[in-house]
Amino acid sequence: MRKSLWRRLAEYGITLFLAISLNFFLPHAMPGDPLALLAGEAVHQMGAERIAELMHTYGLDRPLSEQYLLYLGRLVRGDLGQSYRYSGGQPVLSVLLNRLGWTTLLVAVSLSLATVAGSLLGAWAAWRHGQASDLGLVSALFALRAMPSFWLAMIAIPLLAVRWRLFPSGDSYTIPRLNGFDNLMDILYHAILPIIVLTLSQLPSAFAVMRSSMLGALNAGFVTVARAKGLRERAVLYRHAMRAALLPAVTAFALDFGQMLGGVTLIETVFNYRGLGNMMFEAVKARDYPLLQGGFLFLTLGVLAMNLLADWLYPRLDPRLRERQ
Amino acid sequence: MMDQQPSVSHKTDSWLAPRVSRRSNRAIGVAGVSVFVLLLILAAFPGQIAPYDPSERVGQPMERPSDHFWLGTNDIGQDLFSELIWSTRASLLTGLTVAALAAGLGTLAGLIGGYRSGLSGALLFRLADLSLALPFLPLVILLSAYLGPSRATVILVLTLASWAGPARLVRSRVLTILSEPYIEAAHAIGCDARRILWRHIWPGVRAIAAVQFVLVANSSILAEASLSFLGLGDPSAKSWGTMLYFARASGAFIGRSWQWWVVPSGLMITLTVLSLALISYALEQRMEPTLKMRTSTR
Repeated sequence: MRKSLWRRLAEYGITLFLAISLNFFLPHAMPGDPLALLAGEAVHQMGAERIAELMHTYGLDRPLSEQYLLYLGRLVRGDLGQSYRYSGGQPVLSVLLNRLGWTTLLVAVSLSLATVAGSLLGAWAAWRHGQASDLGLVSALFALRAMPSFWLAMIAIPLLAVRWRLFPSGDSYTIPRLNGFDNLMDILYHAILPIIVLTLSQLPSAFAVMRSSMLGALNAGFVTVARAKGLRERAVLYRHAMRAALLPAVTAFALDFGQMLGGVTLIETVFNYRGLGNMMFEAVKARDYPLLQGGFLFLTLGVLAMNLLADWLYPRLDPRLRERQ
Repeated sequence: MMDQQPSVSHKTDSWLAPRVSRRSNRAIGVAGVSVFVLLLILAAFPGQIAPYDPSERVGQPMERPSDHFWLGTNDIGQDLFSELIWSTRASLLTGLTVAALAAGLGTLAGLIGGYRSGLSGALLFRLADLSLALPFLPLVILLSAYLGPSRATVILVLTLASWAGPARLVRSRVLTILSEPYIEAAHAIGCDARRILWRHIWPGVRAIAAVQFVLVANSSILAEASLSFLGLGDPSAKSWGTMLYFARASGAFIGRSWQWWVVPSGLMITLTVLSLALISYALEQRMEPTLKMRTSTR
């Protein structure tokens, strides 16, 4: 097990390297002036001297291979370039770190909610396999999965936020900001609607994984034994079958994380939420390429971290794999 | 890299697993195909079905639904119902083109890569494999932002982001088939590479390619809608994602008009995705015997 974890680590390292290289080569491979892509369209109004100076700052006057090494070196020092959307050119890293917390809040809460709710529903549906309640749940979640998440958000806002005034219609907090406990409640209040939509959009995949995992577990010998011992059906279901079925469900779901980051990008945009996803959208609108690249890098890091967590967790959750070590 | 753990075989559309009876599987397939054929008809003859030209200002801005305008008008007085019908064309065309390109190229790459397993080929495949871990939508957003919004960009970017999945599945299937004795027999009687590929390997790969085609079409239609919604699609072509983009950009959906502007366009996307999901599910179940080995191979 240990060896394969190291191997995974190396694989994720290569994936990260792919993302970084993509970030480096994109501005150079695209038609047009790489300097304009790195420093903003304003370079076209600059004098020749200033352009030469900028070329030198960005190392564009050197051969490509050397530029690549310089780029990697800057990256290691945490220098992701300057955003040109923010006047004064705020460093990309500080913009990203500002946004990271908001996205983490949305993702962590809705991922947990969707996993718990989806798993419970999935286990229950598997237990009722083939009956009307199972078919109903399967059809409902099959339909839910086909709905674009940003569309759900665009319905939730006019209905729940505008008409019924249950939640704010966007942003992460009230302006001017509140203090102390009020601030915390304010943040929660603003997060609820995006979290609801994100949870709904993740529910089907958690449900599907748990249901099929549970169907397998219910056929296993130890469930027959538990039933034969005369345990109540509920105890068989939740204490025996579900415990075994949970393992693949949890890790498979963690691996779906990349898909979720797509969802969070769209939903943050609809809600004008101050996270990384909305930042990607704003960067696209402003043609702020350094910011866009930084956002992509951070989201990739997030996916790889989740994959690694799943790999690390799996043998620890499953005693059968632990003993083999 | 994802299917190294046995649990992740659910990545494909075996959603209602384990399996349903042959008869209900057929019903699922028929339902999916009928809805999709209806959508294809809308895409083929929008001019005959839609009452107005969606690019003409035929009414007052922001009209409510009426006998003239079934879904009202948008912020510049164009008929929303006609726009909805005409949008079918761009949405389906993009999705199906990407599916044909990505599943086609992916299958070809998988066939060749599986059959000629040289070191460089294996390395390339490993890279493509690892690139599957990159977050799909952020990757697609990044690429389209550099290339600028247009139909060609969307198709190119989605193809680039979608070919690796089919390629990997086809390749691993080819590798399985190559270890079968009948391939050895074909070699022994002196078949050349082309004959072995088309007569002996391709029949075993067809099913996977078909399912992958539908799955890629499904994800690309959703991705096209997402990109258009973010303003990264072709701004001049009418598509459901573009409709949602303008509904948001004009701020109109905050008012009443979300009911006849936002809801229908999203429902069309849902309907399309749903029909394709049903088709791919039915296909996969039907081809189960040939596909089953797929999950057991690495």
